[in-house]
Amino acid sequence: MDEQQARLANCFLAVFPDLSADEISSATSATVPSWDSVAGVTLLAVVEEEFGIALETDDLSRFDSFQDFLTYLRQTEVGERS
Amino acid sequence: MKLVEALNITRAMQQRKLPMLRCFLATGFNALHLKTFLAAELSLVFAEQKIEVLDGLYGDLLGNIDRLAKSDCEIGVVLIEWSDLDPRLGIRSTARWTANELKNIVTTAKARAAQMQRTIEEASQHAPVVACLPTLPLLPFSFTPSCQSGSWDVELRGIMQSLSSVLAESGQVRVLNAQRLDLDSPLKDRHDIESEGLSGFPYRLPHASAVAGLIARLAQRPVPKKGLITDLDETVWSGILGENGVDGISWDLEHHSQMHALYQRFLGALMSEGVMVAVASKNDPELVEQALQRSDLAVSAGGIFPIEANWKPKSQSVSRILETWNVGADSVVFIDDSPLELAEVKAAHPQIECLQFPTGDSAAIYELIVRLRDLFGRSAVSEEDSIRVESIRRSQAGMALRGTPALEEFLEQAEAEVSFNLSKTPLDPRAFDLVNKTNQFNLNGNRYTEANWKKFLDDPASFLMVVSYQDKFGPLGKIAVVAGGYRERKLMVHTWVMSCRAFSRQIEYRCLAELVARFDFDEIEFAYQQTERNGPLREFLSEILKTPPSPNCVMARREMEDRLEFVMKPQEVSNG
Repeated sequence: MDEQQARLANCFLAVFPDLSADEISSATSATVPSWDSVAGVTLLAVVEEEFGIALETDDLSRFDSFQDFLTYLRQTEVGERS
Repeated sequence: MKLVEALNITRAMQQRKLPMLRCFLATGFNALHLKTFLAAELSLVFAEQKIEVLDGLYGDLLGNIDRLAKSDCEIGVVLIEWSDLDPRLGIRSTARWTANELKNIVTTAKARAAQMQRTIEEASQHAPVVACLPTLPLLPFSFTPSCQSGSWDVELRGIMQSLSSVLAESGQVRVLNAQRLDLDSPLKDRHDIESEGLSGFPYRLPHASAVAGLIARLAQRPVPKKGLITDLDETVWSGILGENGVDGISWDLEHHSQMHALYQRFLGALMSEGVMVAVASKNDPELVEQALQRSDLAVSAGGIFPIEANWKPKSQSVSRILETWNVGADSVVFIDDSPLELAEVKAAHPQIECLQFPTGDSAAIYELIVRLRDLFGRSAVSEEDSIRVESIRRSQAGMALRGTPALEEFLEQAEAEVSFNLSKTPLDPRAFDLVNKTNQFNLNGNRYTEANWKKFLDDPASFLMVVSYQDKFGPLGKIAVVAGGYRERKLMVHTWVMSCRAFSRQIEYRCLAELVARFDFDEIEFAYQQTERNGPLREFLSEILKTPPSPNCVMARREMEDRLEFVMKPQEVSNG
């Protein structure tokens, strides 16, 4: 797990404390029972704060899993520390 | 605080087994992250309790305040934003803004504010309430350009100012200081318009964090420091008295030493609030006396007591001052411009708060005064606060009288009068303060939240006895509290505290004698617990029980009557 993934995992762990380390990278709104709309908005805010970005929230369904967030971060090249 | 930190703090708190403290957060918007920040900040302030923050329904602030009033929460928080006064003042409304509507908006806001006042006051009867008035910028609904105040927005702000003023005056509601919030959270960085539209949560995260932090500080009734010990040279005044002479020291604009006058004025303000102020200075005592007689001092030197001016280590002066005041070092702040002196005092009195006076740095002196305001800040100044210093002076004078005659004789000479008030209403804030601030003569060190204290007093089986004292030297005011319950001919004392100012006057014996006279009990039980600092209470109970006290120690009525025989006949009850 690289640094970007680790920081994202910490965001997930803060919002979904019951997830185990193994479950985080495969977490989706369908597999995490506590991922409701409030948790979704909280997760967005935590990720924005952690990476200092403003996520495009017009379509919240695009951030439905750990991998969705990771893909977005990689595509927009944020959170990389050289 | 970052949101992720707040989430982690609340998660850690949920795993701890602690007594629950419930807080109701009444807002008209979606409390979302504010709720998380508030839970985290309250967890830090109330570290010995597990926090649960409840909230109400979206868009129904008045209803939520009503829910707060009906809940059994120990703390209430009411946060008003402009849209709670009239939805047309929020961005989620689609109602029209026309020049004709403005008057109607103001009328609606006025009526809504009056309703809010009533419901907040009602809620504050059940639990302490913290109120926060609009923190977000007003939307540009009026016809004036943004740099010009229009009559409508001035009127709206006036309505909120009036509400704030009435609530603050009531004494039951703590209103968040808007100026303090302005310093912590710049106005332009508060409103998250995107988030308000998306989720109904209108705050940017740093603003939510700042609001929650200040609310949490207000939710905890502050325990102010009791005394300030100050140096003189380069502190109370600019210059060295021994070198510059009485006329060579200054605190004025002409000598660029005005900030010392500001410090003097602040000391004077503290004294008027009942804070004890003393001097510890390495100086010639005669010179100090002359300097403190200068008529242009911005503080009344007569209120400073005691004055320790000598060439010995300052820690020794501080020890004598603490002894005279009869307070613990943790209740006191020591101010000196010399880091060496601060370190020497800190080494001898680790619990004292030592702060450096930053001579020559006006901005830093101002910051110091703001910090001192926080350390000594209180919600109200009581009668007892205003007579504290004078009663200590009298007590010192009385010590001389106490040299040879027996204590009983001294008390008789002093024409001591103890009065007892057994009424539980109206709620006496001084009794609550004594219970939560007293350390030395304290039965068990147990503290109450305001809501728990109210709940305890509401129990028909509970009793409360507030004790006042005065003698020919003047009043000490309310100085002791005994509280507990009476069931099946058994009197249980759960709480017993007495101010250290009232020691050595046999008041503790008189308290027991009054209980014997007032209650028809067969035995009395003391919920005693040893604490680090309740030695004086332990000594007294050992004397009465003829054995060191143990938790829930019991004494029969007859035994107690025998041991209290020497105490004067109890005084008449003044009330209740």
